[in-house]
Amino acid sequence: MSIFDKLKFTGLSISGIQSVDEMTVYPIVGPSHDEIARPSTLKFRRTSNYGTMVFDNEDRERPAIVPSNLMARGPSAQDHAMSGAGLVEKGKSQSFDTACCIQQRQGGLLSEKDIEHDILPIGLRKAFLNPTFRAEKNMSRLWPSISDWLKGMDLKEKGAAHLRYFYGDPTVQKQLEDFSAEFEPMGNQIGAVILFCGVPVGIEIMPSVEHWMSYWKYLIRGCYGAELLRLKLTGKLKSSILELPEIPKGSSVDEVETFLNGYIQGATQSIVPILDSMNVVTKKVMSHRAGMSVDLIQVGNGGGDIVKYSDKPVYLSVVL
Amino acid sequence: MPRKKLVVPEEKKQLQIDSGILQFTPKGAYYESADEQAKQIFELWKGLFEFDRTLFALVTLLGGTGFSKGAMSHMLLSNPQISDKSLIPAGLSFDYEKNVIKYNLSKERIPRALKNLMMLLGREGFEKVNNSRSRKIIFDFIFDRDVNEIQGLFLNYKSKLKALLRHAFGKQDTYNILHGNIQSFVNCVGTKYKKYYPFVLYVFGADVGEVMKNKAFIRFPKIEAYYKMKEAAKAGDVAEFQKLMVDMPQRTVMGFRNTYKLPIELKNVYEETKVSDREAIQKEAAAKRSGAKVTVNYNNQDIYDLWKAFYFKLLRGEKENLDKITDAIDKTTTKMDKMDIGECCVIIDASRSMEGSEQRPLHPFLTSLCILSVLDNVKEVFYVGGHYIKTEISGQEIAAIIPYNQTDLWRGLIKAIQTGCKNILVISDGYENSIKGMFAHTYNYFKESGYEFNLVHINPVLATDAKSGTSRNLVPEIKALPVSDYKYLETELLFTQMLTNREMVKKLLVNKYQKLLGEKE
Repeated sequence: MSIFDKLKFTGLSISGIQSVDEMTVYPIVGPSHDEIARPSTLKFRRTSNYGTMVFDNEDRERPAIVPSNLMARGPSAQDHAMSGAGLVEKGKSQSFDTACCIQQRQGGLLSEKDIEHDILPIGLRKAFLNPTFRAEKNMSRLWPSISDWLKGMDLKEKGAAHLRYFYGDPTVQKQLEDFSAEFEPMGNQIGAVILFCGVPVGIEIMPSVEHWMSYWKYLIRGCYGAELLRLKLTGKLKSSILELPEIPKGSSVDEVETFLNGYIQGATQSIVPILDSMNVVTKKVMSHRAGMSVDLIQVGNGGGDIVKYSDKPVYLSVVL
Repeated sequence: MPRKKLVVPEEKKQLQIDSGILQFTPKGAYYESADEQAKQIFELWKGLFEFDRTLFALVTLLGGTGFSKGAMSHMLLSNPQISDKSLIPAGLSFDYEKNVIKYNLSKERIPRALKNLMMLLGREGFEKVNNSRSRKIIFDFIFDRDVNEIQGLFLNYKSKLKALLRHAFGKQDTYNILHGNIQSFVNCVGTKYKKYYPFVLYVFGADVGEVMKNKAFIRFPKIEAYYKMKEAAKAGDVAEFQKLMVDMPQRTVMGFRNTYKLPIELKNVYEETKVSDREAIQKEAAAKRSGAKVTVNYNNQDIYDLWKAFYFKLLRGEKENLDKITDAIDKTTTKMDKMDIGECCVIIDASRSMEGSEQRPLHPFLTSLCILSVLDNVKEVFYVGGHYIKTEISGQEIAAIIPYNQTDLWRGLIKAIQTGCKNILVISDGYENSIKGMFAHTYNYFKESGYEFNLVHINPVLATDAKSGTSRNLVPEIKALPVSDYKYLETELLFTQMLTNREMVKKLLVNKYQKLLGEKE
């Protein structure tokens, strides 16, 4: 039984494999949930206080989901990140007062202007798998983890728990853009399973194709790409690529086609037993609003958020 | 699944050059911002300039983008030319650089040519340049034309002309000229342009009353009408304005309408004013939204603009004129000068990344279609990735492919080899993810197994992270040919010889200079 079945997702399947250097992405395709507000109607408005992020849902018919650990970085103000996924009622504004500051020595509150978004890197997201830590109203609680996360990288700026030292570094920016662009969204794609050097590091499922199209770069670049780059910059991950299969000598053109198709099929299917072996434990309901709930779940040694609408799962974000 | 150590080949320390340097437009790509690309391309320009200034100047005679040529001309004008005539290569006149720059300007469309000249004013991120060569080029560009042409220039680009003239005259001479000092004007531009003294006054909005009493000066009726139209706009005299706007340039009329908030329907502006054929196709959607009935002559368009119009209509779900556009694509394709490289199969990368950047949507994919149009003797075409959008043309359902999904180009390679074709062309941005390296792996198998075929990789996208040159390779041993515009195939072929056969290429370019500019040693 795959993790999708265990979590009661229906109609999902793996569609192919994309593998570039150390990262492999298995696109997840499936049905879109039109009962969730479109991503374009969800607006980050401001930080109303240190540790409080405010979002508006301009859709008057449907509730919206703020992706888990969404970051907002803006000019001359303290950058922030959500401690988990957020729910916003239809046509309403919602403050999230358990958000974190991610720029230790910067004052000022964010407005909606010139904001850059990403999702926190895996290493930092793991801190929020502890429900007590997540629910704390302490805007500075992520700073020690950020300092640790930045350690060992030769960045242009350093000296404090500023996540933007990493994201704003010109070399890092270039590498993250190049990296994320190596991967391409597929038709009907709503999510992905992500692996580093063959080891699963995350599962992401969005409510719809449109949500995936809106947020995939924040995930592939800001979350997974950032973590992979950090591991490489700190020498904690050896460079490697998927070894391609030796085509049997003397194969005709048709045989080559059959052989390589078989290889791709096998490579695609190889994720299935891994997904089947994942155990899920629901730890805590973190919030519920507008007919939706955010549950914090444990998956293997990692975990993350599942959002249910009328008790049906519509969103999943898990780091492993 | 088994993995192996990633080995990154060492970068070679040598001049990196290919025709991508002539094909740059600062509009970014799916992967990279325009700034990143500009930085990279500037280094390549600098490399060639330092390698051989003559080659640097002469290659701009080849097909390339207006931006590249403008920036390269800026580099030439920023650096004084050598004063030793004996160092000028045989076959070239002493002032060949100036002639090349002027020739290139004359071949650009006016808006692009003006943008290139504006680079000399420190615009578009360039350093300001003002010397006798740059001044001469500006004056010749503006004044070396007949009365009709110069009036057209005024009506469409007055503010740019003003900026250019102020820059070239300098503060003191501008003051003198605008205060009636005709000699100052002649000293700057030369006697042959003296007749255009009133024109300069018009450009600066100075009083021409006194000067025009002098019968020696010609009249500029269209400019006079322009000022009347401006007065009518200022006074809010809508009836008079509407009378005068007929057949005036659309952008000028639109400017007055918007600035002075004249209550004239957009529809009327679109219907009664003048635009070029190219502007007509570009503004077709806006004109339609206004309710105007405009006719676009699709038969007088570049193939790229036709494909662009087709795809943009398709993506907007519009059906109107699709039949005319597809007819025009067929006719234009038939009329084009074809390139025959022998019977070939073409693999077109239709994966998501071929949709290009936000500033230039679909550019790589549209370029691929144009390259396909220019090729002769194509046995079969294989699209890899993409998905189909259906529409109806003249009662018939058709499906057009648009960039989508992942990149598994190796599938296209197998299909092409199955046809037995000896020439295989792959048009791709060189980014491969399903699985990275699989194309080269498949290619190597066939080559090592004795299959005989030539693979040519044409890359319509500039990539700053390319291992060499300006675009990404799919197979390490096969250098991608950067072709961001179907017109630049010749350019690319010459560039591939530049490093290995420098003198031969220089000779070819000198011959081209003599042919194009009609000059002999």
